[in-house]
Amino acid sequence: MDLLLTLASAALLASAIRLTVPILLAALGAVFSERGGVVNIGLEGMMIMGTFWGAAVTHFVARGFPGLVAAAPDLAPLAGMLAAMLMGVLFALLHALVTITFRVDQIISGVTINLLAAGLARFLNIIFFRVATQSPGVGGFTAIDIPLLDRIPWLAPLVTGTSPVIPAAIALVVVGQWVLRRTRFGLRLRSVGEHPLAADTLGVNVILMRYLGVLISGALAGLAGGYLAIEQGRGYLEGMTQGRGFIALAAMIFGNWWPLGALGASALFGYFDAFSLRVVNLRVPYQFITVLPHIATILVLAGFVRRAQMPAADGIPYSKEEE
Amino acid sequence: MLGGRMASPDLFLELRNISKRFPGVVANDKISLAVPTGEIHALVGENGAGKSTLMKILYGLYQPDEGEIMVRGAPVRIAGPRRALELGIGMVHQHFMLIPVFTVAENVILGSEPGRRARLDTARAIEQIELVTRQYEFDLNPRELVANLSVGEQQRVEIIKVLYRGAELLILDEPTAVLVPQEVEELFANLRRLRDQGKTIIFISHILDEVLAIADRVTVLRRGRVVGTVPSVETTKGQLAEMMVGRPVLLQVTRPEITPGEVRLAVEELVVRGAHGRPVVRDITLSVRRGEIYGIAGVQGNGQTELVEAIVGLRPIASGTVRVDGNDVTRVGTRRVRLAGLAHIPEDRHHRGLALPMQVRENLVLGHHRRGLFTNGPLLDLAEIEAFARERIRDYDIRSPATTTPALALSGGNQQKVIVAREFAFAPGVLLAAHPTRGLDVGATEFVWRQLMGAMAQGMAVLLVSADLDEILSLSDRIGVMYRGELVAELFPGEATPQELGLYMTGTKRAPTEQAAG
Amino acid sequence: MSSSTRFFFLQAGALGLAILFGALAGSVILLAINENPLEIYPLIVRFNLARIDSVAAIFYRATPLILAGLATALAFRANLFNIGVEGQAYVGAVAAAFVGFAVGGLPRLVHLPLTILAGMLAGMLWALLPIVLKLRRGAHEVITTIMMNAIAGALVLYLLEPGLLRDPAQAGTPRVRTPDILPSALMPLLHPALSAIGLEIPGSSRLNWFLPLGMALCVFFFWVLRRWRFGFEVRAVAHNPSAAEAAGISTQRVQFLIFLLSGGVAGMVGLSDTLAFFGYFDIDFPKGYGFLGISIALLAKNNPLGVVAAALFIAFLDRGAQGVQVFAGAPREVITILQGLIILAIVVGYELLTRYIRVQLKREAQIAPPLAPALAATGEGGE
Repeated sequence: MDLLLTLASAALLASAIRLTVPILLAALGAVFSERGGVVNIGLEGMMIMGTFWGAAVTHFVARGFPGLVAAAPDLAPLAGMLAAMLMGVLFALLHALVTITFRVDQIISGVTINLLAAGLARFLNIIFFRVATQSPGVGGFTAIDIPLLDRIPWLAPLVTGTSPVIPAAIALVVVGQWVLRRTRFGLRLRSVGEHPLAADTLGVNVILMRYLGVLISGALAGLAGGYLAIEQGRGYLEGMTQGRGFIALAAMIFGNWWPLGALGASALFGYFDAFSLRVVNLRVPYQFITVLPHIATILVLAGFVRRAQMPAADGIPYSKEEE
Repeated sequence: MLGGRMASPDLFLELRNISKRFPGVVANDKISLAVPTGEIHALVGENGAGKSTLMKILYGLYQPDEGEIMVRGAPVRIAGPRRALELGIGMVHQHFMLIPVFTVAENVILGSEPGRRARLDTARAIEQIELVTRQYEFDLNPRELVANLSVGEQQRVEIIKVLYRGAELLILDEPTAVLVPQEVEELFANLRRLRDQGKTIIFISHILDEVLAIADRVTVLRRGRVVGTVPSVETTKGQLAEMMVGRPVLLQVTRPEITPGEVRLAVEELVVRGAHGRPVVRDITLSVRRGEIYGIAGVQGNGQTELVEAIVGLRPIASGTVRVDGNDVTRVGTRRVRLAGLAHIPEDRHHRGLALPMQVRENLVLGHHRRGLFTNGPLLDLAEIEAFARERIRDYDIRSPATTTPALALSGGNQQKVIVAREFAFAPGVLLAAHPTRGLDVGATEFVWRQLMGAMAQGMAVLLVSADLDEILSLSDRIGVMYRGELVAELFPGEATPQELGLYMTGTKRAPTEQAAG
Repeated sequence: MSSSTRFFFLQAGALGLAILFGALAGSVILLAINENPLEIYPLIVRFNLARIDSVAAIFYRATPLILAGLATALAFRANLFNIGVEGQAYVGAVAAAFVGFAVGGLPRLVHLPLTILAGMLAGMLWALLPIVLKLRRGAHEVITTIMMNAIAGALVLYLLEPGLLRDPAQAGTPRVRTPDILPSALMPLLHPALSAIGLEIPGSSRLNWFLPLGMALCVFFFWVLRRWRFGFEVRAVAHNPSAAEAAGISTQRVQFLIFLLSGGVAGMVGLSDTLAFFGYFDIDFPKGYGFLGISIALLAKNNPLGVVAAALFIAFLDRGAQGVQVFAGAPREVITILQGLIILAIVVGYELLTRYIRVQLKREAQIAPPLAPALAATGEGGE
């Protein structure tokens, strides 16, 4: 009974929502990349860049422009978020260059990018903050109450005092779904992930579309990292992404390569994540509770991959030359 | 640029001295061609004659090394497919360029979508497509998913795609290769209607009967050059064939007289299920005897691939049995099926046939590599493999610089010969040959046919699957027709015309088969 | 010059260019943090090669890297990505430590092999789930192996709880480690063998027999892949699984076996540290071998012999990083970034080169005269 109450407690759910966001944003990014036909295992590295740069830029803006920040306290985290996205995009550009232009195996490129990002974050942290693994603490956005929803009593704990990034992320999912289904860009992006040659013969710029898909995924992964560092962790800590970039890929698969599906799947992982942080008085050793999201990821992949319908040309480099 | 002769105004397309070279080959050599508006112009030639290169130049996928392209009398440079479409040139590809998970409408509008700013206007798209289908009397539902369409319908989507983009010149690349005779007639009716409404059509084919039936004029290519252009009413099949190959050929084989012996391959009530659990091979019973070629005709996608792969052990068998020389080889795995004496020429040499980056000799022993002859404990016996490869390369006239050359370096015909040489080795009792001559030129086709005949004469039982009705009719002792996974007819070549086979292939007609007769 | 020799030199050239590119990009970074690359790079070389103990340190560092690179390369050779070498090494080291301290009364000749075997088996066990899920359920091994790394970390933490594998003698101290491994399970050092051939290395070096063992494994797998029937099947599966299936090769069996082999080798990665340096397993067990293994396999283009050279190169850079840190005061992470850039450059370089070679081969096949039957055997062909 106690356990059940804990499982559904408002505090746990609020925490679950907070932890859903980074997975969700990265999963949304993965959807855009893979709908265009590029597998992005480098998501984790782009998130790492997001965490570091998000925290660093927030810190430096807050310290460098105290007057400005006093007048508008959200300015520093906003700058941090933008920097996180920009760096995500920069790393995505590298992945795009290597996989789309040079047609290197997408998994290899992604893995290499993860290695590079981890090394770079450590290096930069030493240069900026003289220690390898941690940035100074930073302040996040002013918490908000979501209008209208905050009047519903049982929902109130979940929608008051929340980070503005949370509703923004959910809005991004809805927009993402609409873009993929109902816009010219969405149709073209999906076409290059399904049958790039067909799209090419109709004058769709396959290379451009694929670049855009990957760059969008970088921006979203950067944002996910920024959120993690600025809103969730209040500072950068080495390894704080904890493999969420990979978990996001599982969420994308579970969500059948659609933003709305990814939302549902990410919520599941977010819940496990929150659970692993809160519920410690179980009979299972806590070490295993902490890896619940990872175990869930394996289970989801084992259970659902076969049923999912992946874009037909996902992971296959495109070239006009015939082999 | 503009210097030189004036183009005559009623020509839609004119090519002047187009040349295109690739490493080691001249694909197009000073090709000149003139196509007036409102003409159906056929382009014929063997594989490798330069047809597809020329087409790709017209569609902007390749740039010519030399020469000039004039559209409606003005010289143009076709930088890419988009530019080609702007010039009114549309291509209907042989391998359909369709996205199965998209609707007809989405496939058609892709790349030139109606809508305000970013938004797609699906309703308007459907309206516009219906306008086109009505104007040209095409039967097509724009809301349907392409995955649910028949081959003939998919081809119509391809044609609508180019018409929707306002194409005035339609290039059709081997459009009848995937169609049954009845669908071919419908296609021709559609093409004539398009011509009568002022469209210009280039029709690429090597099937001379069809060319003579549909084209106003015919241009023949050979080895990258234009041999000549003739009005179709003034020529004959024989004449065209001679122009194509440069010597009179009759692609006919002399069949050795053999009385079929005992049953070597017996398939009983075989059922194979597809992706969603639906049967794709339904209760097929057939047998092939020693010294017999059993041909399987059918429109692609009616279960032939699944039938062959199930027999070889590459696809799970839901129920039924397969016997090779009396041994039950149902569900024993490919390795043991092969050990029982079954050889397999797969339908796609790059997919199932060869490991392209591996050496020619390695590809020649692929599947035989577990034989005692080629092994030495856990090691491979390279000396034996080398000797075997040399013998095969000599006997099958495989053009390869060395036995260690990677298979990817060989031409398509030589790659196919590698597979044939491998599968004929060690005297298999049964051969499954799926489209064994697809994509081969006349010489290589003749070679493969002769090999098949020779093997049959030595007692092999051959199950031949082919999309080429001529091949089926000229090689088979018996013919089975597959339609939607069933064997709907079993006949002798003497009693079947292509038209009649077409009726069975489209499911219009059924006849008693071995299984129905008991 | 025959074309295969030419292609070999092209490959070496690509490698050189990639390293040059990495060095140039590294120079930009060094200049950005006010260091002079013209001083730093010679410093690395001097620091690394001037003294025998430094060279010994490079070889010691290379020992686990050779095994990690080999483990990754083996899986890569069958188109499988074993990103889980890290976790497999982790559980392998714990399992070996356990057998090392818990099983007593055996002579070294039995105990040490048993200990190593325990590490290999644990590594295989940790690779088992990802490969089974891949082959049976289609779950991508990249994600599952990474998840298994995290779970390995949790498992090891759990095993080091008091009452399980934690050394009771350390109670009251912050040390979280197993009891000491018995001497009969420790790997002997290389000093006696080296001094027998006239090479004296300082006593502080922990260079041990895992180095020749790792190299021998590389040579062995090179031979297996090139000359064994199994190696032939692995190559066929890697180059075209559909054609391999049609030839009667079970791709599932081949992939399963090679992945377990990869896991087994991965299970030995941490043993040089555990059985020849620490003498116990401790919570601060060195991390990152698995990821360096990926870099090494990519550099070596998955050639087991190349793995040895690539591991030495990475160990050289790592050792140099220490020199950079100590003598130039620049963060050693410069070298990590340098490695990342070199790897990225080399994968692009290899890709472009492969395509170029393919075009060349096609051209040669078209102009070359057909093979004359009387021609003498050309001997070994290479890839």
